[in-house]
Amino acid sequence: MVKRHLSRIYMTLIFLFLYLPLLMLMVLSFNRSKSRVTWGGLTLDWYRKCFENERIMSAFSTTLQVTLLAAVIATIIGTLAALGIFSMKKRNQTLYLGATNIPLLNADIVTGLSMMLLFVRFMNLGFVTVLLAHITFNIPYVILNVLPKLRQTSRATYEAALDLGASPLLAFYKVTWPQISPGVFSGFLMAVTMSLDDFSITYFTKGAGINTLSTMLYTELRKGVSPELYALSTVLFFTVLLLLTAANLHPEPVNPDSPRRLRRKSHIKRAVSLAVIALLTGGSLFVLAGSTSAAPAGKDRVLTVLNYGKYLDPRVLKEFEQKTGIQVRYEEYESPEEMYTKYKAGSIDYDLICTSDYMIEKLDKEGELLPIDYGTLAHYDNIDPRIIRMSEAFDPRHDISLPYFYGTLGILYNKKEVRPEDVESWSCLWDHRFKGDMIMTNSVRDAFAPALITRGYSINDTDPGHLQSAMELLAAQSADVSAYYVDETCDEMAAGNAKIAVCYSGEAAEAMEVNSDLDYIVPAEGSNLWIDSWIIPKTCSQRKNALLFLDYLCEEDVAMTNFSYVFYASPILSVIRDQKPAYRTIEAVTPSSSTIDRCQVYRALDDDSAALINRLWQQLKTE
Amino acid sequence: MNRRFRPLLAGPYLVWIVGFTILPLLAVVWYAVTDKSGRFTLGNLAAIAAPTNLHALFLSFGLGLITTLICLVLSYPLAMILAGMNIRNQSLVVLLFMLPMWMNFMLRILAWKQLLSKNGVINTLLGALGLPEIAILNTPAAVVFGMVYDFLPFMLLPLYNSMTRIRQDWLEAARDLGANDIVIFVKIILPLTLSGVISGIVMVFVPSLTSFAISQILGGGRVLLIGNVIEQDFMQAMQWDEGSGLSLVLMIFVLVSMALMNQFDREGGRTALW
Repeated sequence: MVKRHLSRIYMTLIFLFLYLPLLMLMVLSFNRSKSRVTWGGLTLDWYRKCFENERIMSAFSTTLQVTLLAAVIATIIGTLAALGIFSMKKRNQTLYLGATNIPLLNADIVTGLSMMLLFVRFMNLGFVTVLLAHITFNIPYVILNVLPKLRQTSRATYEAALDLGASPLLAFYKVTWPQISPGVFSGFLMAVTMSLDDFSITYFTKGAGINTLSTMLYTELRKGVSPELYALSTVLFFTVLLLLTAANLHPEPVNPDSPRRLRRKSHIKRAVSLAVIALLTGGSLFVLAGSTSAAPAGKDRVLTVLNYGKYLDPRVLKEFEQKTGIQVRYEEYESPEEMYTKYKAGSIDYDLICTSDYMIEKLDKEGELLPIDYGTLAHYDNIDPRIIRMSEAFDPRHDISLPYFYGTLGILYNKKEVRPEDVESWSCLWDHRFKGDMIMTNSVRDAFAPALITRGYSINDTDPGHLQSAMELLAAQSADVSAYYVDETCDEMAAGNAKIAVCYSGEAAEAMEVNSDLDYIVPAEGSNLWIDSWIIPKTCSQRKNALLFLDYLCEEDVAMTNFSYVFYASPILSVIRDQKPAYRTIEAVTPSSSTIDRCQVYRALDDDSAALINRLWQQLKTE
Repeated sequence: MNRRFRPLLAGPYLVWIVGFTILPLLAVVWYAVTDKSGRFTLGNLAAIAAPTNLHALFLSFGLGLITTLICLVLSYPLAMILAGMNIRNQSLVVLLFMLPMWMNFMLRILAWKQLLSKNGVINTLLGALGLPEIAILNTPAAVVFGMVYDFLPFMLLPLYNSMTRIRQDWLEAARDLGANDIVIFVKIILPLTLSGVISGIVMVFVPSLTSFAISQILGGGRVLLIGNVIEQDFMQAMQWDEGSGLSLVLMIFVLVSMALMNQFDREGGRTALW
């Protein structure tokens, strides 16, 4: 009796461990307030926003397409393979099964990157590469489910059918198939499960603008969580709950008790399973039909754009697509170094890239950039000539870059916890009072800049000794740092999870809009002033459309919409003129001229210094 | 179909394995043993001995071990309870325990991030009860939490499957012959579920050893596992050679641990995989 109670309690505890987190997401999805701890009243708004959110919906439909196509193809190839392997000699069987086990035993990350290494040699990464990868890791599950069933079949019945005059195909259909079909079916379901949940392999094999739910969520989570995701998780949870309880798909423990009940059960099971398949196929056909009609296709009308995260209002993209009929494949990155790798990998041919000053200088030196013909831009005069002059630091001839946004690196702090005089100098980053309450930037050069300045060097210093001493300073800081973030900083500071953070001015401005206790300061010793600009890389095949896109961004209305979304200092004259007067005095939105005078622009590092600084950074992270 | 030609059915699969499994692995090996200019080198393999990489590998190994152990300790009693339940409810209850597995993996991590954050739900509750706050987000402990939560079903399922194969009459026979609960557990239940334990360990240990997304999100950039080092080598630092070298070492590491595990399990755990 005691034992029974104990086991009840134990089950309940694990049950709570599994479900409380999900329950929390569900509750939050109905919360009007964006905060995760205060209740702002009941709302269904997040559900509406979730269904209207194009990124979520397109990731959802890609996930369904990949999952279904991959599972169907893998089931066909896998079942044929199982039939073939079954009729082989023992030695060949062992060989095949050994190879089949490779994707199962190998770590996902290795499977994913190995395929990426091969794919980039022969094709652009995209939907097809993801599909190929998914089929590859699905096939083994099908084979391992079908083979045991084949081993249970009796060869004698099949041969009897042949003797009675059935053709091999008919004999297979009438005799073998009924015996192996449950195995084929459970293999198919496992393939679906694995595909739906995969992250690592998709992450390495996906191309620009293609996202499954997992990879979309990964990028979104790094940018900070929006409540639409709570709604999404609730919807998914109930869909899964409905499908699974209806189908009871889980392989039943076969008990040799009552064969009659079992048989009836299997009939029901098959009926429900068929219904599920029909539902899934129907759903995905619907989605496929929807997506093909929405995409005008035609390769010359697709523009591939690479930009920082949260750096372009999705509405602007949508309007551009509607207005011009050009489809934009849009991809985001977090740090300039990540962009450089993505571009240099050559796995995706980008048409337009937005990146920072020193990276532009580096790419230009490597001869990677095409000149921009400003004459074709009708709205070029809308760009502040001051900023164009400033960008001559990295684009001396001014022929390869078009300024997009600019800003500073500084400190965002919570006025309730920190006095302004405590953060006037970069030395506050080594103030132990902020232990565990300090967010450091996760971008290499921006992390080294404060340390170099504190040591009295320039932010462009490349002397190995100086870099080493800056790294020692950063190492002394790391015990006090609560996290290294870039795009997550805004969210975390707005939620009050830290007292101070090193971040970009625009990030700070956004956080200050949400939480009025926050303020932004550029320390007295000076800092980095950066200018993010658009460039056209050598891989561009859509020069005319790329220029069309750039011109569109400089239009007055578009620039204003985009500014209110991005919230960094804009070099567009009409935006400077029309923005709320209050913004002009906020340091985080519009850097004052005294700040600009104190700041320096980053210069490109030579390869050796870049490698050294990267190595020091990794060393810091593991210590 | 003629029996002689039946092996040909595996033809498409042969093309597939060679093209998408063997060739990619050879590509990894190729990158691993050459430097940027294409000359042969062992430097990329030796990179594992660099202090930062070695540290990351040990940390991954440690966290993977802890995660696997926690999953095993939590799942074993649960699997026993589930397998001993009334048949009619059994499949439904098992389904309930498996259900979170069909939710997206990233959404499960998202939940933990929200729970553990400094001004998150757990700390608010603790504060309301007048208890001290916990600060485990962005530490290895948070990563272990996330991994246990994510991988628990992978341990539970094989254990449960092997438990259900134990016939009730064997246990009754043992009891009739005078064995007490402890003897029954040690002499019957444990040996019969060993293959389940092994596949559970493999299915939890490998993903937790090589994960990089969980440590990235719950570790706040402060918990660098070997998976993160490899991911950064490929996606950020443009060092494909070194990344491949580390991947190859990791692959060998995984295969060796698997071979060691299989020593304990002569029947082969494949039947208990699902």
